[in-house]
Amino acid sequence: MELQDQIMDGDLQTLGLQSILKMLALSGKTGTLFVHSGPETISISLRKGQIVALREGEANQPDLLGMLCLINKLDPPRAQAVRESAQGNMQVALALLVERNWMSPDEMQRRLEFTVTQAISHALRWVDGRFSFHRQLITMESRMQALDVDSVLLEALRQADEWEEMGQTTLTRTTVARWLPEVSNDVRSLGLSQEHIEVLCLSNGELPLQAMSLVLMMPEARIAHVMTRLLELRLIEVVDTALEAELQQDLSNIIIMCQHTLAQQRQNLTADQHLLGLMKTLSQCINGLLIHHGKYAKALRGRGQLPIPDIVRYLERRFMQPLQLLSKQQYPILETANFANGQLDCSEILHLDKLVKGEKLEEFYWEAVLGLATFLRTVFATLLNDEVGNSHTGRQLNVVWKAFLTEIDQEIQQYQLYRANQNTQHARNRHNEAAFQVGPGVPMPGVTGMPQGQNNLPWSSETQRRSM
Amino acid sequence: MVEPTVLVVDDSPTVRKIVQMTLQREHIRVITAGDGLSALTSVADEMPAVILLDIQLPRMDGYHICQIIRKNLQFRTIPIIMLSGKDGLFDKMRGRLAGSTEYLTKPFDTAELIQTVKKHLVDWQARMPPQHEGMRTRLRRRG
Repeated sequence: MELQDQIMDGDLQTLGLQSILKMLALSGKTGTLFVHSGPETISISLRKGQIVALREGEANQPDLLGMLCLINKLDPPRAQAVRESAQGNMQVALALLVERNWMSPDEMQRRLEFTVTQAISHALRWVDGRFSFHRQLITMESRMQALDVDSVLLEALRQADEWEEMGQTTLTRTTVARWLPEVSNDVRSLGLSQEHIEVLCLSNGELPLQAMSLVLMMPEARIAHVMTRLLELRLIEVVDTALEAELQQDLSNIIIMCQHTLAQQRQNLTADQHLLGLMKTLSQCINGLLIHHGKYAKALRGRGQLPIPDIVRYLERRFMQPLQLLSKQQYPILETANFANGQLDCSEILHLDKLVKGEKLEEFYWEAVLGLATFLRTVFATLLNDEVGNSHTGRQLNVVWKAFLTEIDQEIQQYQLYRANQNTQHARNRHNEAAFQVGPGVPMPGVTGMPQGQNNLPWSSETQRRSM
Repeated sequence: MVEPTVLVVDDSPTVRKIVQMTLQREHIRVITAGDGLSALTSVADEMPAVILLDIQLPRMDGYHICQIIRKNLQFRTIPIIMLSGKDGLFDKMRGRLAGSTEYLTKPFDTAELIQTVKKHLVDWQARMPPQHEGMRTRLRRRG
């Protein structure tokens, strides 16, 4: 914006936003008012002293369409159709909803008005900051009917007062909350009001308080009040988005590392080596996850640098029992695996080849692979539930995890196929031997010990190629 | 404004999903392909801003795909970041000869991935031929 267009400027301590807006409204000005306080900015477009558009900061606009789906006010396919056309612009999205008769023009106007009121209410609470008014009217895509400054200010001030009445609270308009994983009952049985249920439905670990306010058209202070109650009832928890981003990155790196190890072990040519490779991959993955959980477990958070024995004790307490249960009920071979310094020690299984040979060794390896794969699933499910629960991050990580498990399952299936093939072959050989003993004139069929593949290897050429 | 699109070509569903999740968090649109042929189709349909290309792929390897893209006048300027478990000098040289812009060795760190992709996204709009911008918008609208 050109400097010569600027009519006035100043700081908010000298002249507050309320006074500036009233003054501009009274004099029927046309132009754009820019206000900024720290990193936050707001620009209000006025035409003949009436508000015609408003834009807040550079932050991404909330996904109003997704939120309308969450509160059952819009079908997801319709939301998708509008999203494609609106390309992230909330104003355009609302206009499209009206155009397609999925929202009344009246509701659109109310939503736009509410957005303006919320933003001004927030800016009214800024103490330090600067403003400038420019003659030029910035064209913002707005479908809103012009708003009277006085009525907007009245409502905005009322909402700002509600925030003040909240007293000391840690909640802000950027606070993100999510359902606690333990909540599995029907929330209707808790006797919550409609607004509590709506806020609970939107607490998905992704939407900030401000976005909830916009979709429910409920003042931010009111949402904060409801959230406080839900926190007291232990139905939701506040999400630390920075921590979750870090946690997601750490888990992604572990999975990438394990996928790489899994791909590498595909180069193994014999069944024994393949199973051994799988065991190494699985135990590496389990230990990677244990190290991760030692850093991010909810019970260990917020206590500063913990002594390693405390972390080890926590991990063993959490995972020893499921391991023992698996070894007792399904996979006795896991009895040889122990926890040492918070890590799963599988060295006895990995060095079984020094004690056992041949088919027996393969059988032990096979049992260990199945046992470790089951334990790995348990470890991941436990840590994900503890660290992020059924949140957006949790669901995303689950998708990645399922993809990785599919790759492991494919490896396991490859071996199952090989074993089935081998068993059939053995049975056929036995049958032929018996037939040979009965009638020595019967010819021996061609013996192929392995399933069909390159160089008589148990793995398909495709599997081997992927291991490169 | 249209957000940049990154094409991830890898036969491992795990890698595809992780890259997708990681870049989407950075507000980068991600499309994926599991083999060379689908990769080439995606390049033609979507004109991605950056391509992350695994070397070992079913039917057609990454070097070959890279060469095909580099020979096409419309797509030759798209940065191609090779993804591979091989970190030997020979493989890197082969990647460069095929026309790759950069090389990421598996297992890669997600922070490194973001940094590398962002580096090549800086001037993506300037590189995009104007006629393709219109085509992509039309495709999006068609849904």
